[in-house]
Amino acid sequence: MQPRITEKPSLGIIFDSALSRVDDALAMALLYGLDGKKEERLVSVSISRPNLKAAIYSDIVGRFYAGAVSGAIGFNGRALPVGLALSGSMKEDRPFFTEPLAKVGADGKPAYPSDIKHDLDTAEVAAVTRNALTAQWDDNTTIVVSGPASNLAKVLATGGAKDWIQRKVKSLVFTGGRFAEGPADENIKADIESAKRLFAEWPGSIVACGAEMDGVIAYPAASIEKDYAWSPAHPVADAYRAGGAMPWDAPLWAMNSALYAVRPKEGYFKMSEPGTISVLDDGRTRFTPSANGRHRYLIFDPAQKERILKAYTEIASAKPVEKPQRVPRPNQVVLKPAEVKQPEKQ
Amino acid sequence: MIVTQKALARRTFLRGMGLSVGLPLLDSMVPALSFGKTPETPVRMAFVYVPIGAIMEHWNPTYTGALGELPRILKPMEPFRKEMLLLGNLTHNGGRALLDGGGDHARATGGYLSGVQPKKTAEDSSYGDRSGGNTAAIKAGITADQVVANKIGGKTRFASLEVGLEDAQQAGNCDSGYSCSYTNNLAWKSATQPLPPILEPRALFERMFGDSAGLSPEARDRRDLYRRSILDFVVEDSKKLQTKVGPSDRRKLDQYLTSVREVEQRIQQNEKDSRQIDPGMEKPGGTPGNFAEHFKLMSDMITIAFQADLTRTVTFIVGREGSNRTYREIGVPEGHHNLTHHRNNPEMIERVAQINCYHMRTFAAWMEKMKAAKEADGTLLDNSMIVYGSGIADGNRHTHEDLPTMIVGKAGGFLKSGRRIVYRRETPICNLYLSMMEGMGVHEEHFGDATGHLSELTA
Repeated sequence: MQPRITEKPSLGIIFDSALSRVDDALAMALLYGLDGKKEERLVSVSISRPNLKAAIYSDIVGRFYAGAVSGAIGFNGRALPVGLALSGSMKEDRPFFTEPLAKVGADGKPAYPSDIKHDLDTAEVAAVTRNALTAQWDDNTTIVVSGPASNLAKVLATGGAKDWIQRKVKSLVFTGGRFAEGPADENIKADIESAKRLFAEWPGSIVACGAEMDGVIAYPAASIEKDYAWSPAHPVADAYRAGGAMPWDAPLWAMNSALYAVRPKEGYFKMSEPGTISVLDDGRTRFTPSANGRHRYLIFDPAQKERILKAYTEIASAKPVEKPQRVPRPNQVVLKPAEVKQPEKQ
Repeated sequence: MIVTQKALARRTFLRGMGLSVGLPLLDSMVPALSFGKTPETPVRMAFVYVPIGAIMEHWNPTYTGALGELPRILKPMEPFRKEMLLLGNLTHNGGRALLDGGGDHARATGGYLSGVQPKKTAEDSSYGDRSGGNTAAIKAGITADQVVANKIGGKTRFASLEVGLEDAQQAGNCDSGYSCSYTNNLAWKSATQPLPPILEPRALFERMFGDSAGLSPEARDRRDLYRRSILDFVVEDSKKLQTKVGPSDRRKLDQYLTSVREVEQRIQQNEKDSRQIDPGMEKPGGTPGNFAEHFKLMSDMITIAFQADLTRTVTFIVGREGSNRTYREIGVPEGHHNLTHHRNNPEMIERVAQINCYHMRTFAAWMEKMKAAKEADGTLLDNSMIVYGSGIADGNRHTHEDLPTMIVGKAGGFLKSGRRIVYRRETPICNLYLSMMEGMGVHEEHFGDATGHLSELTA
């Protein structure tokens, strides 16, 4: 029997991503790493790209970290299923998430098993997000979005959602917008109407990580070969290798949002004054300063670059910390130093 | 059919000595010269709650789409394959612990029809006090049946009927600090007002056919003394009615009143049996000790209530959630709840499956009666939607997702039956209720934790 939770647990994180680039997979690894350090609990993962393989990839990453993550709901360590949008743009596959799915072990079986075979094995995003929120203490959840605002707009449209959000959500960190000269960023442009609604109606604070933050830091390829070598098969390292010709340094954007979301007081980034972000018809964003505004955006501080990079490489590559579970999760990945074959590249 | 100039009112009652008996839909209730169109063929809705889920490997078919061979527990429903829907992956999130620890049974029932997580009323009794002293007021949510009852209940004698078989204790803690109000009530009129089920067959019979409070003490004594039928008191009205209707209606009326009389006789027999063999049981007088007979009596009265349009909304709680009832009549002397915590012991799993099958056989026998009851344009079952389900799926692990959920009946053509539909994971069961409300002519934007209507459900 699960005891009633009487002490406030660490911050709950809801991660909603389009899985558009390797950076998103690295952000997931960072969040699982921080979960392992008990700085937060990754309580829900959802995908805004209507692509089943993207959902399967996020599922295998979750299973890889199964001993460490605490996205359990109920008891017996059951995790919520992956939420998946069934409509929208960005339908196409990306090699960084399809190639790990094709990888097989020495026994010819998939290196990373998943129970997701069909859309029905994923969850409706509004329900899974709301259900995750219901299991959190008040004012103890941060939502990190890396992709279009489509999924959160659906959450907002659900009956009673604004009440839940006001009660449960501490902050929303949105990877998107642009707070310097330039065109509309890809995340807002992917669903302008949803972005408009999100910034206009979200009943709490929003911190944006604008497109000017994209690529100010790059992930060093050397870390992939060195820091992830503890596992003969690592779905994030495999994604990285599939994402470009090695050695390549992946530009980071979502990772900045994830780090800020969990460690907002560490001074990794500077912060704008408060104000209001509005989304224009062409997808560009406008920031209007105001003392009572609930929106801010992150500002890169070059002085913090090395410190941030150190956090990224150490935490994202950390070995999962086994947590005692009464019942093993189905298909939990057991890491064995077995020979693993890489898929042949076409 | 004989067309009379003046139609009989749909809500005609046979009356006498403070008693009244509703009537089924008769041809004579069709307005003259309406060319066979009934003035109203109502859709009825019932929720039948079975406790502690099911052995899901014997519930879920391996296919979706048109219903074919049914798994073991559902076998008795094979004659109804074209009239039923099996729904997969529906979730009762309010049944989960969330932040409140133990109490899955209380949450399973207490929020099953509202989508709300009931409020814990005392410290978790599993760690100490089981005295039942409540420290907080009960709070759950208005249930789907009551939303419908509020909107259309005025059309019938009873806005809703709440029926049960096992326990109606309202005070004390029944599960890990949750009030017994949660485990023992399926219907809630508001967040703080549960509607306790009627457990005793006679109490239900008298509620339906006659307000015993309306009888003078002398009249009641006379009735009890001579064990006269309630129908004897309305005989004059009955005779008058026979002269106003055609031969087809006379036959229908005769069959209907016979079924009322049979229920009454079975109640009397059970009262006699209870007095003779089991006087010390903590049950209301006259309640059959045998599960199937009790179920049959209560479900027969629900059928009559639907036929006579006494109500269109029923909740029927077959067993208290977490019940440790034994089923010796099928060779299961162990408590149900204890067995469900089987820890994968095959013998215990088998016994739970036997209980699940027994419940289903009993339910299927009721559905046969619903199907046999003819209405102007089909059967009573055609014009009903009876949900059979539980707020727990796997009783061993207390899961609240992929709940065992079946709807029998076509709701007057509203439902596209004969299929198994599996929804996406985490789909709230309140989505089903929102859709069912539509079938009852009640349009709601939001309900409970619904995220919308269920797709593919309707014709």
